[in-house]
Amino acid sequence: MKNSIVAAVVAASMGIATAAQAEITVGFITSQSGPGSSIGVLYDRGMKAAIEYASSVGAEKVKLIQLDDGSDPSTATRNARKLVEESKVDLLIGTSTAASTSAMVPIANELKVPMIAISPISVAANEAGDRWAIVMPQPPTLMVKAVVDRMKRDGVKQFAYIGFSDAWGDLVYNGAQKPAEADGLKILTNERYARTDTSVTGQVLKMMAAKPDAVLLGGAATQGALPPLALAERGYKGPLYGTPALLNTDFIRVGGKSVEGVQVSAGPVIVAEQLPDTHFSKKISMDFRAAYQKANGMPTSDGFSAYSFDAWLVFLDAAKRAMATGAKPGTPEFRVALKNAIFSTKDLVGTHAIYNYKPSDSYGVDERSLVMVRLVNGQWKYEP
Amino acid sequence: MTRLQFHLVSAAGVLLLALAPALLSPFSITLMNFIGIYALAVLGLVLLSGIGGMLSFGQAAFVGIAAYATAWLTVKAGYSPWIGLVVGVVLTGLVAAILGAVTLRLGGHFLSLSTIAWGLATYFLFGNVPMLGQYNGISEIPPISIGGYALASSNSIYYLIWVFVIVSLALSANLLDSREGRAVRALRGGQVMTESLGINPFRVKLITFVIAALLSALSGWLYAHMSRFVSPAPFDVSVGILYLLMAMVGGMAYLSGAIVGAAVVTLLKNSIQDWLPVISPGASGQLEVIVFSVLFILLLQRARAGLVPFALRWLPRVQPTPPIASGSLAHRQQPERGQPILNVAGATRRFGGLVAVDNVSFEVKAGEILGLIGPNGAGKTTMFNLITGALPLNQGKISFLGQDISRRAQRQIARAGIARTFQHVKLRKTMTLLDTVLLGTYGRTSSGFFAGVLRLDRAEEARAQAEAMRQLQRVGLADRAFELAGNLPLGNQRLLEIARALAADPALLMLDEPAAGLRAGEKAELAHLLEALRAEGLSILLVEHDMDFVMGLVDRTVVMDFGAKLCEGTPAVVRSDPRVQEAYLGGVA
Amino acid sequence: MNGEIAAILAMDGIASGAIYVLIGLGLVLIFAVTRVIFVPFGDIAAFTALTLASLETGGRPGTVGLVAVLAVLATAVEATALARNRAFDRLPRALLFYLVLPLIPAVAVWFAAGTTLSMPIRIVLSLALVLPIAPLLDRIVFRPIADASVLLLLTVAVALHFALSGLGLMFFGPEGVRTKPLTDAVFDVAGLIVNGQMLLILAASIVFCGLLFLYFEFTIQGKALRATAVNRVGARLVGIRPTSTGTIAYLLASLLAGISGVLIAPVTTIFYDSGFLLGLKAFVGAIIGAMVSYPVTALGAVMVGLLESFTSFWLSAYKEVLVFSLLIPVLLWRSLSFGGSEEEEAEE
Repeated sequence: MKNSIVAAVVAASMGIATAAQAEITVGFITSQSGPGSSIGVLYDRGMKAAIEYASSVGAEKVKLIQLDDGSDPSTATRNARKLVEESKVDLLIGTSTAASTSAMVPIANELKVPMIAISPISVAANEAGDRWAIVMPQPPTLMVKAVVDRMKRDGVKQFAYIGFSDAWGDLVYNGAQKPAEADGLKILTNERYARTDTSVTGQVLKMMAAKPDAVLLGGAATQGALPPLALAERGYKGPLYGTPALLNTDFIRVGGKSVEGVQVSAGPVIVAEQLPDTHFSKKISMDFRAAYQKANGMPTSDGFSAYSFDAWLVFLDAAKRAMATGAKPGTPEFRVALKNAIFSTKDLVGTHAIYNYKPSDSYGVDERSLVMVRLVNGQWKYEP
Repeated sequence: MTRLQFHLVSAAGVLLLALAPALLSPFSITLMNFIGIYALAVLGLVLLSGIGGMLSFGQAAFVGIAAYATAWLTVKAGYSPWIGLVVGVVLTGLVAAILGAVTLRLGGHFLSLSTIAWGLATYFLFGNVPMLGQYNGISEIPPISIGGYALASSNSIYYLIWVFVIVSLALSANLLDSREGRAVRALRGGQVMTESLGINPFRVKLITFVIAALLSALSGWLYAHMSRFVSPAPFDVSVGILYLLMAMVGGMAYLSGAIVGAAVVTLLKNSIQDWLPVISPGASGQLEVIVFSVLFILLLQRARAGLVPFALRWLPRVQPTPPIASGSLAHRQQPERGQPILNVAGATRRFGGLVAVDNVSFEVKAGEILGLIGPNGAGKTTMFNLITGALPLNQGKISFLGQDISRRAQRQIARAGIARTFQHVKLRKTMTLLDTVLLGTYGRTSSGFFAGVLRLDRAEEARAQAEAMRQLQRVGLADRAFELAGNLPLGNQRLLEIARALAADPALLMLDEPAAGLRAGEKAELAHLLEALRAEGLSILLVEHDMDFVMGLVDRTVVMDFGAKLCEGTPAVVRSDPRVQEAYLGGVA
Repeated sequence: MNGEIAAILAMDGIASGAIYVLIGLGLVLIFAVTRVIFVPFGDIAAFTALTLASLETGGRPGTVGLVAVLAVLATAVEATALARNRAFDRLPRALLFYLVLPLIPAVAVWFAAGTTLSMPIRIVLSLALVLPIAPLLDRIVFRPIADASVLLLLTVAVALHFALSGLGLMFFGPEGVRTKPLTDAVFDVAGLIVNGQMLLILAASIVFCGLLFLYFEFTIQGKALRATAVNRVGARLVGIRPTSTGTIAYLLASLLAGISGVLIAPVTTIFYDSGFLLGLKAFVGAIIGAMVSYPVTALGAVMVGLLESFTSFWLSAYKEVLVFSLLIPVLLWRSLSFGGSEEEEAEE
């Protein structure tokens, strides 16, 4: 693989377009530096697990070219162009920040390359009405809807919101509005804090003053624990709810007692071993964990790496059908065939969901892709 | 290399650029697009920081304002990208004008720090305004279309980008070669000199700041419609620093440095990305940042001037075309000989408890050379600064040609007809002798930025050049008109300052120790020159240490001691005054 | 907003202000002595927190590798400089200062990793490990260009920050850390809950400001630092070596940054790149003090903390916008109140 990269580089730097290769080439972009890297690294490991799990379509080997976008959308678009124009990839997979992923979509549309987005973004069709990108993760609205529905079931009437002052914080807040209205719940506050903040006392005081029944957390990972800690310090005793972004060991370690009992929506892969054997996700999730252990030399319980794994499953499934059309990898015909195959994915079982894609929609998951879990004694507990 | 050859080479370069899409791979064109877009923003930075001396870390914020303006207008309001261009440019210009008006009075590193501050504030603002899509940004930006043809692909927008780059480069070059452009080049290194030539440095700074922002706006507009997506990250301060890196790599003081720097950094980034995973798999992302920063630091440590000056050493120089003398600038009618021209009445200046100038009164008459002498610390230079407006008076009144100038700003006094030289020569070392003297004509000419950029100033420029050559001739430096001022020996630099002062066509010429550091022969030449000027009706006020030089030259002398006027009169009278002998000559006689 | 909320916000603001004070004072100290606006200074604080956290979990902190790399580089730079001047007799001394001394804590930590250490020992080890970073960077990066303009030094410092954040990511990884609180005590003061950690931050900040003051007033070294700050040439003439005062300034400032890192680690999550914003906010304080006045800097830093705390209550999303926008009127006020004394900038 290294040699082919070198060859591609040499060819490109001499200004010669490389000839189309016969094997299927996949371009994978993730953030290995910058603020997106804590998730980007997980996507990377998930992809390693995926290759470990299966790396060929029929007899055809698949070549993966991976680039780092440094959490910067400009670099992500440049990388996407590079992968398509220089390495002639048949598929783009990326990346770990929503902004960078959104930035890649116009490139996929323009250069007519299918793309699998592994961050939750909304995707538009191109001018011709074509869609070239699908999205793996559950839409944030769905993630939040599951939580809001659970709040209603738990008897919450009004809740306060605090989230990151970034794209994720926006998505969760905006996602909560519609189901809250449908369920007759009132959102009392929209407080924000930065990943680098040292204190959320001001925000928490404002939330406490609004007297919420519950608090919805729109943070992620370690810093997601900052509001629960401050809430506990100010004597808040009510329930806490969150999104899959809180599924993180450091969140539990740092949050300690204050995050005990928090309920979050999650892909079933998170609690794979607790799932009943009849659950669709049980077997494939256990296979994924085994592959992850083998490829990375460490166990996993996160959901992000499973998105790259599922992306790979969708790709392998679609590639098999695209090959059957007789189109040669590396050609525009093959990309169209692959796109059509991806957008006709039917009942593909992955670790997070059963995927069904239609040409009219880039999201392909339904309510089955989310389960509610509760943090009990530092462990995520499946709560059907 | 002659000018014609230079034009031919440039034309060949443009032709190559035009053919690039046919010759290069699609990704190379993508890279070229990024280079062009970066080069526009960096060009602004070169004008602002490299040439104007105002170091900015916040240029990316201006790129962002225009990008967001056009994104919002085209996506949310459905206007054409061309409307987006107009609004983006106007909005960026307005924001820059306001920011500049507030921050450009800050000196040195405080100005640069403030650029970090507003750069960061703008970034966080983009990320928090719901209308601008917050941190998710705005996607689905339409491509620019020309006559119904959408520039959606890399190859088609390529031409638009590079037309913008080349036109901007040419117009910037025009600007630097004009009256206001010379003022921009003179900004670097303190305001006293620019003020003394009648230039309003704040105005020039502000306009330069706005021009730099407008170039960034063009870059932002192109970026938004090329990427078809905007989010806060590409407009962060760290990107502003990347622009700075590009400018420094290319050569901060050279317009072409913008393109060279943008190209080298972009290509280097691209190849580092290709090679690092090969050298060190697994750690490539982190290493990229490190390698880049380390290269930047090494560059700053070892080769501050950048690549362009390095390359210029090996390339043939473009031969300068000597100016064709055509017409001349209007000359002042000198006041009638013997009329009082400058009147200092009871001038007093205190520094804390110290009275540097104490109730001094004297007069300069038209057509005479008046010497202002006194021992060290007598207050001569302070007096000099009071007359030229570099320091405000505490008490007293100074009038010039019948007008009270006691409260006027330095540049207004300069415009009224007082030209000066400096005790410590104040020249811009990288300007040619001709350009230096042309700076002197600033107050007599009127072409603005706009005229300079569009070359509407050529007729006036030719007259100014003729005048500058005449003054260079007069001080005997005409044959070195295209050498750099910094390469002259000190004596010649003093003469150059006099030529610059004369180019302003003053009624009163004020010289601060013009003979210091001159050899005997040079002193004699200087005396000749001053006598000739007197013969033409010019009045001269001379501060000088060299007694022989002063006494042989002046018509009258004012002697100061301990801030007060000791006496006044012809050299013979002063020489025989016992108080002078005691104070000045140390009581030797 | 009622009085109680205001009181809580004020306390919270003063506590974060106290952290900025320590970092801000360090910034002023380094600037006064070396004319370098040491942008990566917040990184030093963040690295201390990361080191402490990894000692706490029994890991081997990335700082060991970082210090080792820097020590080797600095030694190489110094040795080349000495070789060029044919001053081989000074080589052993250089080896001692640039290689042996910085590596002692690194080696100690290397062997201590994995064993459980008591909290004070962890803190001392972390500080000792982080202290050499800034002086080593000074030797490698700034000393070769010590005579450059303030602007150039600033640009280099900014680039250095990016290099350090890259190194931080490499040595510490992308995950954030948070250490155990130094104290669990909670006090009830007239109905207000005050946690001990906050008091500790305040106390430490006051104590170290006091110590800094005493150091400047009553020790020869402190006076030498002040002399260098006032007049570099003059200081050199009376035999104060600017390079050694520079090193002392960096060490002292690193100590302040290190302590603020130790104090902040239990309060919030620190990432490899947390230092930048931390440093910038301290920097706003330092600019309020015009980069020269220690007391005004301290006051400014506390003001930044308060402003942050109150805006996080009123308008949390626009907190950073407000904090950094505030800087512009402050700079203006500064430049107006110092107007007229603008010295001529050097031509380049």
